[in-house]
Amino acid sequence: MHLRNILAIARKDALDILLNKSTLAGLLTPIFLALVFLLITVLVGNHTTEILVYNPGNSGVVSMVSNAFSDSQVIQANSPADVAAQFGANDTHKSSSYAIGMVIPAGFESSLRAGQRPQLSLYINGDDVGTQQSLLVQTAITSYSRTVASPRPPLILAAATINPPSDTKIGFDLGRIYAVASLMVSFITGLVLMPNLLIEEKEKKTLRMLMVTPASFSDVILGKLLVVLVYQLILSGIVLAIQGGYTGDIPLVLLYTLLGACFGLALGLLFGSVFQTTTAAGGVSGVVSFIYFLPVLFVGQLGQLLGGGPFVQAIKALPTYYMADGISNAMTSQGTFANALLDISVTLGSIVVLLAIATWALRRQAAVVAAI
Amino acid sequence: MKYPDLMIEAIDLRRSFKAKEAVVGVSFSVQRGEIFGLLGPNGAGKTTTIRLLTGQIDPSGGRAVVAACDVVKDRARLKERIGVVFEEQNLYERLSARNNLRFNCWLYNLPESRADEVLDLVRLRDRAKDPVRAFSNGMRQRLMIARALLHRPPVLFLDEPSRGLDPIAAREVRQAIEQLSREGMTILLTTHLLEEADHLCQRVAFIINGRIVANDTPRNLKLAHGKRSVVVTLAAEQAGNDSGQMQEITLNMDDANDQARLAQLMTRSNVRAVHSQEATLEEVFIEAVGVRPA
Repeated sequence: MHLRNILAIARKDALDILLNKSTLAGLLTPIFLALVFLLITVLVGNHTTEILVYNPGNSGVVSMVSNAFSDSQVIQANSPADVAAQFGANDTHKSSSYAIGMVIPAGFESSLRAGQRPQLSLYINGDDVGTQQSLLVQTAITSYSRTVASPRPPLILAAATINPPSDTKIGFDLGRIYAVASLMVSFITGLVLMPNLLIEEKEKKTLRMLMVTPASFSDVILGKLLVVLVYQLILSGIVLAIQGGYTGDIPLVLLYTLLGACFGLALGLLFGSVFQTTTAAGGVSGVVSFIYFLPVLFVGQLGQLLGGGPFVQAIKALPTYYMADGISNAMTSQGTFANALLDISVTLGSIVVLLAIATWALRRQAAVVAAI
Repeated sequence: MKYPDLMIEAIDLRRSFKAKEAVVGVSFSVQRGEIFGLLGPNGAGKTTTIRLLTGQIDPSGGRAVVAACDVVKDRARLKERIGVVFEEQNLYERLSARNNLRFNCWLYNLPESRADEVLDLVRLRDRAKDPVRAFSNGMRQRLMIARALLHRPPVLFLDEPSRGLDPIAAREVRQAIEQLSREGMTILLTTHLLEEADHLCQRVAFIINGRIVANDTPRNLKLAHGKRSVVVTLAAEQAGNDSGQMQEITLNMDDANDQARLAQLMTRSNVRAVHSQEATLEEVFIEAVGVRPA
């Protein structure tokens, strides 16, 4: 293994990917899709969620709630009465320009730690916030409180909903769903690019040429992994920027982005080692991409709506479910530590298993590489 | 680096693929600066022998030393000392000629300016920016030779260098090979064109079913297998008719009477031509191998 050779192969492939119309299209697809999703969000009217808060102690719970929405604005109230006046009593009908109201007592966090179970008043405007989103907000507040003082239910959450929505009103945060979907699509790039690069070397017999140069078979594989990983991460970064995905628990979002890129890469490497023609690999990658993407529909707000039927349970057998779930939770600052640990463990474990199988297949191939 | 006089030495080289023996006890040697031809029909073991000598595959038995490197034990050094032109045109089609060569410059840790030097050598400098997919077969072949020469290897392996080329392109490639040999490069080539081998190679070996059945200079092989006879062409009037035609007389040089007759004929003024009946390399090949070359 030699760094000079790895970088040489990566440089060559980086250029070749851009000169190849089909791989270039593959690279641009996630960006195009993210732009389309952004356009839909704008056209359909994913409006700014205005949150009126009375927060004398500058509690961090406010940012947790605002992170649950892709586009939100926090307005400070002067007193609890101001907030109450804008909303009114539970189940009443009242015109309000605010979607959410919060009254947070001073010293909220210290009261939580002292086990005093402080009361947080939450107002929901059913005209702007659907049932699922309302539940998400309440979960965000409870989760935040648990991170401050776990494990007992640490606060009293007094929720009042004005203009109560009908049970059928869904009220999805499209921006957040699209952000997860776009990011998952960007991970598919590795699944398509990696086998393409590897198989083309076999098809065009250039791998034989490489085997009589100072580059080893391992150098060839690592060079390709490097260039696809770099492209993949750049793409994911752009997609996240377009979709406003740098919210919530950002380090966790970035970790899932890295893991998702590695998963796509490992799966692509496996295909590249198993298949001998780009046509065969392309066909299988297409089907796998669909299965790969499917779990996006069963996480976050959509997942909560669909519940836990047998189909959803089957979807949970896919490692990409845990990846999508992790990203969704990280972006909305939802989910518990245990949940995040499960998502990361399953994704990481899947990457290790895929890499192990791909390495075994590639070692077998290395033994016969000259005969290719 | 000072290289030994013996640049390629194969000793009882063997290679099996499952039950099939592709190379069976091949032994030969190639001197520095020599052009050595490996000739044989399809599936005879020519390409497998090249793969063994270039370290692409391990031998099942025997050993080989190329440019003072054992092909198994010194593989890393071997790769620095050999250039290989493959039978198939394995270039990066979307990349330009220059970028194809620049890539190999990176691999061999050479300055990128070397790419333009070898492009000059194969007269492709003016097409350096063009993608390889726009190149003719001859240009691709020249580019592959340029790529193999990039790191100035002392030994060059050419697998069917003229395959698929038109006569003009094939002649250009032959001229390039001759020029490299004059500069001291050791060249091992496989070809199915026996005329090309006869013209280019100082020595040739016939290989069939993985075994070398003949190994000598083309001249010696032709002498060994050719007939010792001459054909004397005489002007017709001396042959006793007025037709204006020519008459050919074949004389066996192992026959004392024919030797005397030749001496007698050579005194006459109507002798127009005398041709020795030397066998062609193709005839020798067919006689030695029993089949025509691929």
